[in-house]
Amino acid sequence: MAIRVQRLPSASPAIALAARAIAILLALVTAGLLLAAGGAQPLKLAQQVLKSTFGSGFGLEDVGLLVTPLILTGLSVAVALRIGAWNIGAEGQFYAGAFAATGVALFIPGPAIVMLPLMFVAGALGGLVWILVPTLARAYADVSELITTLLLNFVATLLVYYVATGPWLDPGGHALGTTARLKHDIPEFIGMVHWGFPIAMLLAVITAAAFSFTRWGYEVRIAGSNPQAAKYAGMPFRRHLIVVMLLSGAIAGIAGMLEVAGTVHRLQGGISNNFGYLGIMVAVLARGSCIGVIAGAALMAVILNSGIILQTQGVNTSTVLAITGLILFFTAIGDELAHFRIVSSKPAEA
Amino acid sequence: MAMPEVTARPRPAPGTPPLVQLRGIAKYFPGVVANQDVDLEVWPGEIHALLGENGAGKSTLMNILTGIYQPDAGEIIIDGYLKSFASPVEAIAAGIGMVHQHFKLVRAFTVAENIHLGWSETPRRISPQELEARTAQLSASLNLAVRPGARVDELSTGEQQRVEILRVLARKARVLILDEPTAVLTPSEARELFKALKEFVARGNAVIFISHKLDEVLEISDRITVLRGGHKVATEPTSACSETMLAKLMVGHEIVLDDLRARGPNAVARSNEPVVGLREVTVRDGSGHAVLNNISLDIAGGEILGIAGVAGNGQKELSELLTGMRVASSGQIMLGGRDVSASGAADFADFGVGHIPEDRLRSGLAPALSVTDNAVIREYDRPPVSLGPWYRPRAAAALARKIAEAASVMVPNYSMPIRNLSGGNQQRFVARREMRIATKLLVAAYPSRGLDVGAINTMMRYFVELRDAGVGIVVISEELEELFNLSDRIAVMFHGEIMGIVDTAGADIERIGLMMGGQRATSPARAAAMVH
Repeated sequence: MAIRVQRLPSASPAIALAARAIAILLALVTAGLLLAAGGAQPLKLAQQVLKSTFGSGFGLEDVGLLVTPLILTGLSVAVALRIGAWNIGAEGQFYAGAFAATGVALFIPGPAIVMLPLMFVAGALGGLVWILVPTLARAYADVSELITTLLLNFVATLLVYYVATGPWLDPGGHALGTTARLKHDIPEFIGMVHWGFPIAMLLAVITAAAFSFTRWGYEVRIAGSNPQAAKYAGMPFRRHLIVVMLLSGAIAGIAGMLEVAGTVHRLQGGISNNFGYLGIMVAVLARGSCIGVIAGAALMAVILNSGIILQTQGVNTSTVLAITGLILFFTAIGDELAHFRIVSSKPAEA
Repeated sequence: MAMPEVTARPRPAPGTPPLVQLRGIAKYFPGVVANQDVDLEVWPGEIHALLGENGAGKSTLMNILTGIYQPDAGEIIIDGYLKSFASPVEAIAAGIGMVHQHFKLVRAFTVAENIHLGWSETPRRISPQELEARTAQLSASLNLAVRPGARVDELSTGEQQRVEILRVLARKARVLILDEPTAVLTPSEARELFKALKEFVARGNAVIFISHKLDEVLEISDRITVLRGGHKVATEPTSACSETMLAKLMVGHEIVLDDLRARGPNAVARSNEPVVGLREVTVRDGSGHAVLNNISLDIAGGEILGIAGVAGNGQKELSELLTGMRVASSGQIMLGGRDVSASGAADFADFGVGHIPEDRLRSGLAPALSVTDNAVIREYDRPPVSLGPWYRPRAAAALARKIAEAASVMVPNYSMPIRNLSGGNQQRFVARREMRIATKLLVAAYPSRGLDVGAINTMMRYFVELRDAGVGIVVISEELEELFNLSDRIAVMFHGEIMGIVDTAGADIERIGLMMGGQRATSPARAAAMVH
């Protein structure tokens, strides 16, 4: 009997899932060992984190607040991936959505029942406008959307800093560097968790269904996987590219609107909390699946929340960043290893 | 295992070891035995042909010999010394060089730069002029004419191949391995290549010639080794071989390359009205160059029109034009009496045009998507796969199963990526998928490229079946023999123009060869004069 290692062209889903679970576990163990080396007591910390997160309604509500924007930014990246585009600009579209929604709330009077939907639309449009130029540049001039969407993040971030500390600064002066408190809040769903959470879940489900159960979704799948095949079958690749990328931007914009109207209630610099960039990681963890984004976002939210708890225990914030990095790193290794299997074969017959 | 007793070339002196000796080579891939227990001896002064169907293990064996793969068992003995190559660099240092089927040249570099790229003897600092002078010198000493200053992407495929060969020989290779070298050459370019190879072996070197073209193997080689299913089945002196015998060794049973032009009793007769007509169609590329020039062509229902020509003379553009993927710059395309000059690929498919594209993995399929997704690419927009805007995955899977059954492709899992299927299975799958929609016309570009004899026969039977059902078929191919067996008429393309269309019955293969080189059919007298 000879033992050999084979690499399969595609991993079986069960093995891929198991590889992910093991990878995440290994990342946590590695992080624990590093913490132990630094003099902390990882087991005690882990216990603290688990107790604070899952031991009380408050902990879960915190996670619920974090998971909402992460589902949407993750979905934004995953949607763009369907047509083969990398939207690195969910961060900027998030800011643009929050900015547009805040503008509507600050300057248009009206009852909440009208204003909240209007802010929602404004948020979506804000995100859409922010990805419009990268989309057209990609569709008509083949300019890489990777660079253009990334660079526009800085523009959006600075724009929001500017308006929040300048023209839109809270005239009441109670808070430094933020706009006035928005008059309309998204109502609460469970505890502190606002209706943005079920809306985000619903958007993920609707998007997933649209890709699986419509002709449009099928065409996008083909066009995203192989533009040549789309040309061969006479599918309009460029139109699909534009529609899907704009949709991606709009979803990230909605994330920004929900965050400002549901959680923070004021527009301020740094409101995105890196949700846009973390969305890339969520989409990668979900392997580009729109439903998988929910699970990826949940994991990421738990990690972020653990970070907040760890800080109260005197652990440096960058440790949390390191843990997320380790998870991504181990997941990438796990994904590759899931392709291999060990087989034993009889010695060759002569 | 026969010794080269019957060869016409000078035999090596007694006591000389073989240049290359492989003993008991084995190589395994996931679920596949690529090579098992293969022995091979190559002597100085011989051209040794390696023959076998696709997947017989020829390329794997040569990749082992050139250090691209490591064998799982067996020995490599070069000039009497046991060797192991960790990389192609080590193999070339031991005098073993290979010219791959797909050239590995840097297209934006000049010939001289390509020759000197990654070569230990290239001086560290050198001007382009000196580089070109060195190249010219090498070219003269090895008797392979190249243009040192030309950029590779300006060269014809024949010239590119010479650059590849020069690149290998400059590194003092004593064994030159050529993978399907004539696939991209015109008959005259092939003759030049053969001449160069004969000169090379006359200097005491050896050539290993991979091919599945029986006639050219018989013409050029001294000995022939046949592989089947990863095993060596025979090594014979060429003088003791015949085409039928080799074909039988390759496939394991006798195959009949019969005349497929004969109609069955139930066949629909050739239609009088053409299903497709091109009227003075010209297609220009982005820079205004006419890639198809003033083409007029009628294709009748129930006929097979073969398109002959060396690749790159407008065949790809013609196939794209006939399937709506490319719009004519001027002229008119009629399909079943309707002007479709401005229609797109989806419309052509709706009108009943199927298309087996030149490169199925790049355009006919989305390799990373499932078998099901790929199966319904032509019928996703109509019931039962779609109802209104809704796509029905179950109906799609049912259609995929139907196509796979018709193509006799075993699919273990319809949601696995279609790239996991073998090349032959992919091609049959695409063919069956296209035959479903091809009610008027089927355009097949190089349908047998990369397939083995058995799969080619299946493909040809598909075409005959469709022809007998009254569909017009355009087959683009480089294999003249295939076109002669199959088509009713053959059109020859050269530089984007049709040199002439001849009835296959009574056509002269030599004359078609001349038309492929740019002669018009209208001057048969001159063509005949050229032959003699």
